Amino acid sequence: MSPTLKRILIVDDAATVRMYLRSILEGAGYAVEEAINGIEALEKALTLPFDLYLVDVIMPKQDGYGFLRELRRQDIPQAPAVMITTEAESRDQARAFESGANSYMVKPIKPEELLAHCRLLLNAPGDSP
Amino acid sequence: MPIVKLVQAKTVESDKRSHPRDLAGLMASLDAPDATARRWAARDLAPFTEAVPALVKRLRIETDTTVREAIFMTLTELGDANIVQSLIKCLHGEEVERRNAAIEVMKHLPDAVAPFMPGLLVDPAPNVRILAVSVLESLRHPDVEKWLIEVISEDSQVNVCATAVDILAEVGTEAAITQLEALKRRFPDEPYILFAADLALQRIGRT
Repeated sequence: MSPTLKRILIVDDAATVRMYLRSILEGAGYAVEEAINGIEALEKALTLPFDLYLVDVIMPKQDGYGFLRELRRQDIPQAPAVMITTEAESRDQARAFESGANSYMVKPIKPEELLAHCRLLLNAPGDSP
Repeated sequence: MPIVKLVQAKTVESDKRSHPRDLAGLMASLDAPDATARRWAARDLAPFTEAVPALVKRLRIETDTTVREAIFMTLTELGDANIVQSLIKCLHGEEVERRNAAIEVMKHLPDAVAPFMPGLLVDPAPNVRILAVSVLESLRHPDVEKWLIEVISEDSQVNVCATAVDILAEVGTEAAITQLEALKRRFPDEPYILFAADLALQRIGRT
């Protein structure tokens, strides 16, 4: 892996969603790690540096909001996070931002939207991964 | 220092037994600092259907495995229609933590949940239908695949179908093939549906 490759952590309990997001992100040249819930994600965040987190809301053990709140309390270099949810109402968006998300995407995720969010949060416009 | 340890141990022990074993006392013990006291409270709450919301709430924050198991056991014993109705109210609620805990509990109550599932899967709120489908993920009930097939055949909301197809990728059999193909035709412009349905078909083909 190139040392300059941006590393993204996908946090979602659904294996199909993780595979889908991974296929898009790896196809665009990003390095990808996965976690199946907030607890596993926090363990990975404490041991590996990430440039971006893609976080589902509803997960067993610890949901996306709980994970982001814990993550933001940690004394580690903080990276931006995108909350991914099925809920498009404004109160849910507010909750995501209050928990520490920098951006918010509503499912179903389209590849071009996902990559646009990644570029926006990771790079200057037009930069490659 | 041994004396201090003795005093601490005695306090914990007396805490475990000092709360009255009525509903109010047991509910108080459910939040006790000592895990053993919480575990006994969870077990002794089995006769009290009124304790369900408190048990679900505790489950959301409880980290001790033995206490979590005791809560599940009590909820399973209590697992009648009234309990499931309380849990369904949580699914309709605003509080994410409580909704997630309700899903987790419902997965453990297949027989009690089954009569409510057809109604939940046609709830007017798409979010509730998504949560109901999430319950099916590990519900040990013979109708799970049938319910999932009905969802991908009839639900008009793409995210409800997406959640169902995720689970069909794990539990689906040849019975789902026709409807998975039809789902792709229903949502030809949704890359995720196409990806997930193809994955499910691929997995079913291999079994």
